[in-house]
Amino acid sequence: MKMLVRTLDMEYETVSAFAAQAGFKTPSGDLIRRDTRGHLSSGLFPVWVLGGVAVVLLLLTTTGCGKTAAASYRLNMVESAKQRLKPEQEQQVATILAALFGTPDEPIAPSECGLDAAKLHLAAGPVRSDIVGRKNGLYREHCAHCHGVTGDGMGPTAAFLNPYPRDYRPGVFKFKSTERADKPTHADLVMVLRNGLAGSSMPSFALLSDAKIDALSEYVKYLSIRGEVELALMRAFFELDDEDQGRLPEDREFLIEEIVLPVAEAWQAAEDALIDVPEMAADIDMAASIAKGKELFYGNKANCVKCHGVTGLGDGQVNDYDDWNKVVLQAQKTVQGGIEQAGEASTWDMDADEAVEHRAELAWLDRFQKVLEGNALPPRTIRPRNLRQGIYRGGMRPLDLYYRIHAGINGAPMPAAKGTVPPEDIWHIVNYIRSLPYDFNGTLGVDKPMVARDRL
Amino acid sequence: MKRFAAVFWSLLFLSVPVLGVATFIVGPAYDIWLPRDVSEHGAAVDGLFYFILVLTGVVFIATEMVLFWFIWKYDESKSNGPGRYVHGSHTLEVVWTIIPAAVLLFLAIYQMNTWADVKMRRPNMSPTVEVVGRQFEWRLRYPGRDGMLGTPDDLHLVNDLHLPIDEDILIQLKSMDVLHSFFLPNVRIKQDAVPGMKIPVWFKAREEGVFDIVCAELCGWGHYKMKGRVTFEPREAFDRWLERKYAEQEATQPTGSEATMTSRAAARPALFARNEPL
Repeated sequence: MKMLVRTLDMEYETVSAFAAQAGFKTPSGDLIRRDTRGHLSSGLFPVWVLGGVAVVLLLLTTTGCGKTAAASYRLNMVESAKQRLKPEQEQQVATILAALFGTPDEPIAPSECGLDAAKLHLAAGPVRSDIVGRKNGLYREHCAHCHGVTGDGMGPTAAFLNPYPRDYRPGVFKFKSTERADKPTHADLVMVLRNGLAGSSMPSFALLSDAKIDALSEYVKYLSIRGEVELALMRAFFELDDEDQGRLPEDREFLIEEIVLPVAEAWQAAEDALIDVPEMAADIDMAASIAKGKELFYGNKANCVKCHGVTGLGDGQVNDYDDWNKVVLQAQKTVQGGIEQAGEASTWDMDADEAVEHRAELAWLDRFQKVLEGNALPPRTIRPRNLRQGIYRGGMRPLDLYYRIHAGINGAPMPAAKGTVPPEDIWHIVNYIRSLPYDFNGTLGVDKPMVARDRL
Repeated sequence: MKRFAAVFWSLLFLSVPVLGVATFIVGPAYDIWLPRDVSEHGAAVDGLFYFILVLTGVVFIATEMVLFWFIWKYDESKSNGPGRYVHGSHTLEVVWTIIPAAVLLFLAIYQMNTWADVKMRRPNMSPTVEVVGRQFEWRLRYPGRDGMLGTPDDLHLVNDLHLPIDEDILIQLKSMDVLHSFFLPNVRIKQDAVPGMKIPVWFKAREEGVFDIVCAELCGWGHYKMKGRVTFEPREAFDRWLERKYAEQEATQPTGSEATMTSRAAARPALFARNEPL
């Protein structure tokens, strides 16, 4: 106390005078200065108190503050706004989903889905360790920052990526070995995880063990089934009669039978529904095959140049969207159109009922717009592949290219050639495409890229 | 009170060299030390590191001890007479400038040979593999049977680098987007991958094993997880692995035994015979 009083007595003139006499300047207002006896002290507190406070603060910054809240699933707000669900109805969907599928930390796999609960347990929840040497929470560690905890492709890093990470909820996957409208097999998901998608932001997880990749594929399936059930539930409100009073039946048997099973069965059916790929002849005349493939590429049946461009640079057309972005784009158009229309209407001529409806419509449009701004990523076009780079997202094996041409790409504008192009011809197109990165002015050679933007 | 302050601060400053030395002593017991070195030039690199560490360590401890002693001894409670202005000692200043300068000059010349081995004396060979850094993975391209990069028989892989032991290895390092740095801790190799440049990296591994490839230049949000794996194995195992991977890459059927896949890929003609017109 005495020290405190003494330092407060210090006068600025005395300090400056002392400083001038000592031959050095003290900048005004410094925290630590010399008092009249030349001793170091600070305006309010002794120096060592400041030092101690600094040390304590340093220690605190290393320990951090409290815990974060448990993760929870996010509702499909775009679909909910599209279906004009009321808050109680949204709540009911959330409750049903929680009862059927659990939470991100404690997932439940309905037995009818055929999902392995042990694998889900390994993949779900926060990163932690149940058994010494085994890490749980794989999805949260490796996937959630792009694909989101709900698997909606809207994790924290998603907005910075082009193309956006996959939204599992519609149950549509692009790169698989099954027909276009079918689900991918477990092996397809494993392959995507292992190899990544070359040319996109999806990395290769080949360095993870097989068991971990297996668990993650299972969890992706789980999130996809959950998302599809959510969509089906939201759309089911439209089918209700007046007597249901806007509530879905919550009988578990009914829900499983009518909604979950169809989804799960589609996944199980995919395991046996691989595309039948004919052998490429071992003694095939490669040059002739490539020539034939070129004919087909430029021909009318396959019509590849329409999108991939006359030089195969992927510049045939650049204004199309994939299905996930199309949903948001069309929703935006609906909202814009609705706002314009509602703006033209005048409540002056409306009777009471019409006015109420009109206001409800405006409220819905407003809500939808807010949902699109906060719960959806801005739509981005999808470009046809630049075939001159030799980078193919779904894999570069001849087999992968066969799958892409035969079944097209589900969710993307790439059409299926099945039915229009016979299987042997697909192999010719595959061989032509594989020669494209090495094709310069009609001569095949070592890679000297034709165009600057193709150079790596 | 003043004595307490002096003791407090002097002990605080003493804790720096004490804890510093303690971490160097205790660290290796917790596996916190230089990673295991399996390269040929690694011994020279590590030797330089130890030399500098000992040199600077001795100087560090000495100066910190002097600092502690001055704070301990010359505090206000013990010596509060007026300060004495000293003009300084010209001899002392010259001595403690010349000696460190000489040491630095020595170090600069001493390390030149090792630097040249690692960064200047490139072996005269074609690349074993091309490594392209990309956000956030390492894309690999092996030249294939014709030994040339950029032909259809190249093997394209991601993150899973295999290399033969006891052979000179030349890596052609590129970047597809931003600055990365190709860091193999266990081979004492680190080279920035600069967009637009093709940078040669060479070394020779002496032992088998599986080690990390790490990105050592901040390249974006995924920099921390831009990890690859390098496997050093004998030449025969390496060749077999290359064949197997190439057969997988050329697969035209969903499943197949290793043998049939390999033989089918081998039997099928190359995508084109070089330099023939389309």
